[in-house]
Amino acid sequence: MFGPLGFTLAPSVRRSRTLYKWVKPLADWYANLAGYRKMGLKYDDLLVEENPEVQKALTRLTPREAYDRAYRFKVASLLSVNHKPLPKDQWLPASEDSRYLKPYVEEVVKETEERRVWDTLEVRRK
Amino acid sequence: MLAARTSATRGAARLARSFATVVDSAGVKVAAVDYGQPTSAVTVLVKAGSRYQTKPGVAHALKNFAFTSTSKRSALGTIRETELYGGVLSSSLSREYLALTAEFLRGDEEYFVDLLSSFVTSAKLTRHELVEIVHPVTEAEATVAQEDSATRALEIAHTLAFRAGLGNSLFAPPHSHVTTEDIKAFASSVFSKDGVAVLGTGIDQSSLSHLVEKHFGASQLSGSGLKTSASSYYGGENRVEHGSGLQTVFIGYGTTSPSAELAALSAHISAQPSIKWSQSTSPTSAGLTTGTTVQSVYLPYSDAALFGILVQGPTSEAVTQASQTAVKVLKEATGSSGLKSDDLKKAVAKAKFQAASVADSRDGLFSVLGSKVLAGSEASVNSLVSALDKVDSAAFSKATSALVKAKPTYVAVGNVDTLPYADELGL
Repeated sequence: MFGPLGFTLAPSVRRSRTLYKWVKPLADWYANLAGYRKMGLKYDDLLVEENPEVQKALTRLTPREAYDRAYRFKVASLLSVNHKPLPKDQWLPASEDSRYLKPYVEEVVKETEERRVWDTLEVRRK
Repeated sequence: MLAARTSATRGAARLARSFATVVDSAGVKVAAVDYGQPTSAVTVLVKAGSRYQTKPGVAHALKNFAFTSTSKRSALGTIRETELYGGVLSSSLSREYLALTAEFLRGDEEYFVDLLSSFVTSAKLTRHELVEIVHPVTEAEATVAQEDSATRALEIAHTLAFRAGLGNSLFAPPHSHVTTEDIKAFASSVFSKDGVAVLGTGIDQSSLSHLVEKHFGASQLSGSGLKTSASSYYGGENRVEHGSGLQTVFIGYGTTSPSAELAALSAHISAQPSIKWSQSTSPTSAGLTTGTTVQSVYLPYSDAALFGILVQGPTSEAVTQASQTAVKVLKEATGSSGLKSDDLKKAVAKAKFQAASVADSRDGLFSVLGSKVLAGSEASVNSLVSALDKVDSAAFSKATSALVKAKPTYVAVGNVDTLPYADELGL
């Protein structure tokens, strides 16, 4: 629950159609307000990477994804130095704000969990 | 006591029959032999050797992908579960076949057949496994092969002799750009009903076919198989600089019709002594200096064979001298007068022993008889040995003189400045 991806209620919200209808506009508003899209970043760029699972997941990005991520970071740090976000027409559109890193992190978390299970396994001979 | 004797006789009967029965189970050929060994082994033999590969290094990469994650279990799960059962998993690649082998204690066949089948039917072949597991192993194996002068000479000899198909290298090139898409495409076409056979030792034929039926559903092997054009022999000369290791010369001839006579010729030429620390009585071993070896190589494939003499030694002079002797012996043996009848008898007996003794080891049994099982023909050691019984001097001189009429395949690996050229050896 409190893995590298953090705590989330999103799956349960998505399951209920009414709740989704009410929460979605609020979530969109919040994502825009957070301001990372103004810096040309994606949501997964903000994921805390100082842990082994995310580090492993980062090595599994396709070369293209890894290059794009590094490029976004360069642009964002330059903007940060200038204290000036991108012009509004260059903000990252919501449609491009994909969770490109999440599937890799989930895969690594699953592997770590499986390794823990095998490491602490108790064998019973039948 | 009586029971023990009965089982011993039964074991002997089965030994003689080894692999004679090939049954189709779920469209897959299954053959098993049980001598009453304490352990069992099951090999899935796939027509996915380097001759079928669509891109250099694909077959090698698929071999190293063996036992990684499938839709049933992850790579880690495979290893840990196998360790709990006490089994050994291995994969090996030849020019024609990929063999996935599981060796295990009797009684665990259910799990291991399932494990093998899940790789054949539902391997995931993921990109991160290619980068993290497969690439490092492939590269290491390719580097080791590159460093070994004998392996290198044989690789080059195959390329010279057969060019495409059988000429493809077993190993991935140093900077191979094989992607998971290439491997997936290759795997999906080679895992076909015609191209897969399951061989077992130490396991009952009926129980193995039952398990194969259960796990290799016919519908799951949907590949169409890869076709290659029939091999043809070309020959040629190549010299490669090699810094370390022994000076190596390979003198070979290829043919598109493998025969028992060539096995006898190979046994005649070989200077490997039958007794440790001694010198062989073979004519090729005359005047061999210490550290110089003359080995004969006879590699039969389904539609071709490569016969050759591999000479290795510490110095170029020793290798040149040994090669000259070997070529002289080869010319005498394949000439119009042929072999003396005593020599022929000796060579046939040696070849027969070699052919029969492969059945002692699992690897040998699988590699020699596996191709016959896949072809659906009678697979027994007896048939290999009885072919050698029919070798007489007329057939021998006919087969061998036809062999040496072709253009020789000559490879020198080592110090190319001093190693001899093909024409200097009288080829």
